Amino acid sequence: MTATISFRARQACTIARVELRRAFFSKRSFWVYLLALFPAVVFIGHGIEAKIDRQRWSAKGFTPAALLDGIKQGETSEAVRGRLGTPVSDEKWDHRRRVLREGSGKDSEPRVWEEKREQRRRLTYFDGRRRADLWFENGVLRSKSIRPLLNLEEDRQVFAGLFQYFYLRLAIFFGCLGIFMNLFRGDMLDKTLHFWFLAPIRREVLLLGKYAAGLVAAVVIFTGGALLCFAAMLWPHDPGEVQVYWQASGLSHAFWYAAAAALGCVGYGSVFLAAGLLLRNPIVPAATLLLWEAINGFLPATLQKVSVLYYLQSLCPIPAPMDNSAPAFIRMLLSPAEPASHFWSVAGLLALTALVLVVAARASRRIEISYSTE
Amino acid sequence: MAVYRRGYQRYQGPLTGYWARFLVAPRFAWERLFQQRQVVILLVGAMIWPLFCAVFIYLANHSELWAGLGGGFKNFLEVNGKFFLVFMNAQAVFAVLLAALAGPGLIASDLANNALPLYFSRPMSRPDYVLARLLVLIGMLSLVTWIPGAALFFMQVGMAGRGWFSENWRLGVGVVAGFLIWVLIVSLVALACSAYVRWRVVAGGLVLGFFFVLGGVAKMVNTVFRVEWGSVLSPTAAMYQIWCDMLDVETPLGLNTAECIGTLVVLGVLLVVVLERKLRPVEVIS
Repeated sequence: MTATISFRARQACTIARVELRRAFFSKRSFWVYLLALFPAVVFIGHGIEAKIDRQRWSAKGFTPAALLDGIKQGETSEAVRGRLGTPVSDEKWDHRRRVLREGSGKDSEPRVWEEKREQRRRLTYFDGRRRADLWFENGVLRSKSIRPLLNLEEDRQVFAGLFQYFYLRLAIFFGCLGIFMNLFRGDMLDKTLHFWFLAPIRREVLLLGKYAAGLVAAVVIFTGGALLCFAAMLWPHDPGEVQVYWQASGLSHAFWYAAAAALGCVGYGSVFLAAGLLLRNPIVPAATLLLWEAINGFLPATLQKVSVLYYLQSLCPIPAPMDNSAPAFIRMLLSPAEPASHFWSVAGLLALTALVLVVAARASRRIEISYSTE
Repeated sequence: MAVYRRGYQRYQGPLTGYWARFLVAPRFAWERLFQQRQVVILLVGAMIWPLFCAVFIYLANHSELWAGLGGGFKNFLEVNGKFFLVFMNAQAVFAVLLAALAGPGLIASDLANNALPLYFSRPMSRPDYVLARLLVLIGMLSLVTWIPGAALFFMQVGMAGRGWFSENWRLGVGVVAGFLIWVLIVSLVALACSAYVRWRVVAGGLVLGFFFVLGGVAKMVNTVFRVEWGSVLSPTAAMYQIWCDMLDVETPLGLNTAECIGTLVVLGVLLVVVLERKLRPVEVIS
C-alpha cells in the first residue's frame, strides 16, 4: 500500500512538473503576471512621484509650518496668497453643474433646473515635510488637506485596503480563474486531454498533479506579487521609520499578507478547478462566486462565514478601511462579522479545499471527452 | 460544357432586400440564445429589481398607504434622479453578466470553426457582420436595461401626472440614452473579447474581468496616488459620472463629464480597432 502511494505521488509530481512549465510560461497566462505585479508598479510610481515632488517643491522654497496651520476656512485665495506667498502649484478650472431652483410654492411657479458655474482653484504649499492642498470655490476656501508628503501609517492603511479590495477580491480571484480553469478546460480546448486520459494513471492522480502545478504557479506569482508590493510601499519612506516598523510588526504583517495570498490561491484554485471539471461554462459559477464575495459584507454573520474571503480577511493583519465615498445607506448596511482566529481561518480554508478537491476527484472519474461541443 | 470549364461565376440572380439579409444572423442568434437555460434564468433574475422599483413607485404615489409613517419616509419615497441612478446601477451589473454569458459565443465560435469565409462569401460586408452581432447583444441587453427603465419612467408619469413629466422629462431621456450608451459599450467589449481570445469560456471571463478589474485598478490608482484622474481607467466610473450628469444628480468629485465621454469614445474606438483587426474574411494558416 505504501509503495502504491509513493508511486502515485511520483506520478503526480511528474504531471505537476510537466504542467508547471505551461502554467508559468504559457502565452495565455501572461496577463496573470500583469494582475499580480500591477499594484507593485503603482506603489513604485507613487514613491517616484513623491521623491520628484519633494525635489521640485524644495527648489521653490518652503512655507513656514505655522502659516500652513493658520489657514482658516472661508479665507479668500488672494488673502491666502498674500500671507503665504507663491504656492508650489496653482491650478484653476471652471466647473458647471445643474441645480434645482425651488419655486415659490405656488403651482404657477414650478421648480426649474438652472446651470450654475463655479470657478474652482487648488493651491498647494509645502513646508519641507507636509503638503497643504487648498480647494477654493469662487475664490473662497472650501476645504483643505494638510498631510505629510509621505506617511507610513497612511500608506499601510492604503496597502491594507488595496490588498483586501483589489488583490484578494479581484487579482487572485481572476488569476486563479485563469490558471486553474485552464488546467482541464485548456486541454479540452487544445484537444489534448485524451493524451492524459490514455496514460496509465488514475484520474485522481492526474487531478492532484494538475492542481499542484496550478497551485505552485499561483502561489509563486501572487505571493511574490504581494511581497513585492509590500516592499514597494515601504521603499520611499524614511529608512529609520521603516526599520522601527519592521522590528515592531512589519515582519509579521508581511508574513500574514503572504499567507493570505497563498491561502487565497489554495481556496479559489480548488473551487475553479472543480468548476472547470463539473461545468462546461464555468463563467456562471465564477460570476456567482464574484457576486457572493462582493456582497459578503452585507450578509448576516453566519452567511459571511460561507465564503473564501471571510477567512482570508481574518488573516490580514490590518482591517481594510471603509470607503468614505460610499453612500451612508450602504455604510449602514455593512456589518463585517467578527474575524475568525488565525488557526480556524487556515483550518477552515484547508477543509473547504479538501472537500472541493474530493468532489472534483469524483467528477474527474466520470469525465467524457467531447471536443466537438467545446 | 466540359466540367473543367465550369469555373467560379458570381451569382447574378435576384437578391433579397438588405434588411432581410442583415436580420438573418440576429434572428438565428436570438433563437439560439433563448434556448440557453442560463441566459433565460439570468434574464428572469434581472427583472426582479425593476419589479421592486415598480412597487417603490406605486408606494411613492399612494401616500395614503404610509400616511402614519412620518416625514422622513416621504423623503425616502421620492422618485427622482437618485432613484433612477440606483436602478441603473443594479441593471448595469446584470447587463455585464448577461453580456459575459451571451456575448462570447457570438464571434468566437465563428472564428474557432473558420466560418467567417462562409459569411463573407455571401452579400455581407464586415461592418454588416459586426453590426448584426452587435444588434444581437443590444437587443438582448435592452430587455434588462432601457426597456424596464422606460417602463418605470412612464409608470411614474402615469401616476404622478403631467406636472411631474414637465419637470422631470430629462430623467426619461437620461435613463434611455444612458442605458443605450452603456449597452453599446458592454456589447462592444463582449464582441471584442470574443474576437480576441476566440474561446467562448475564456472570453466570458475576460468580459467579467474587464469591467471588475478595471474598476479596481482605477480605485487603486486613485487611492495610492491620492488623485481622482485614475477613474479614467474605469469605464464603469466614467459611465456613472455621465449618468449623474444626465439625471441631474450631484456628481462625485473626479473627472468631469467631457473627460468621461472622451474616455468612453477612446475605449469604443479601441474596441472597434480590435474587431477590425481580428475579423478577417481570409485567414493564412501557418
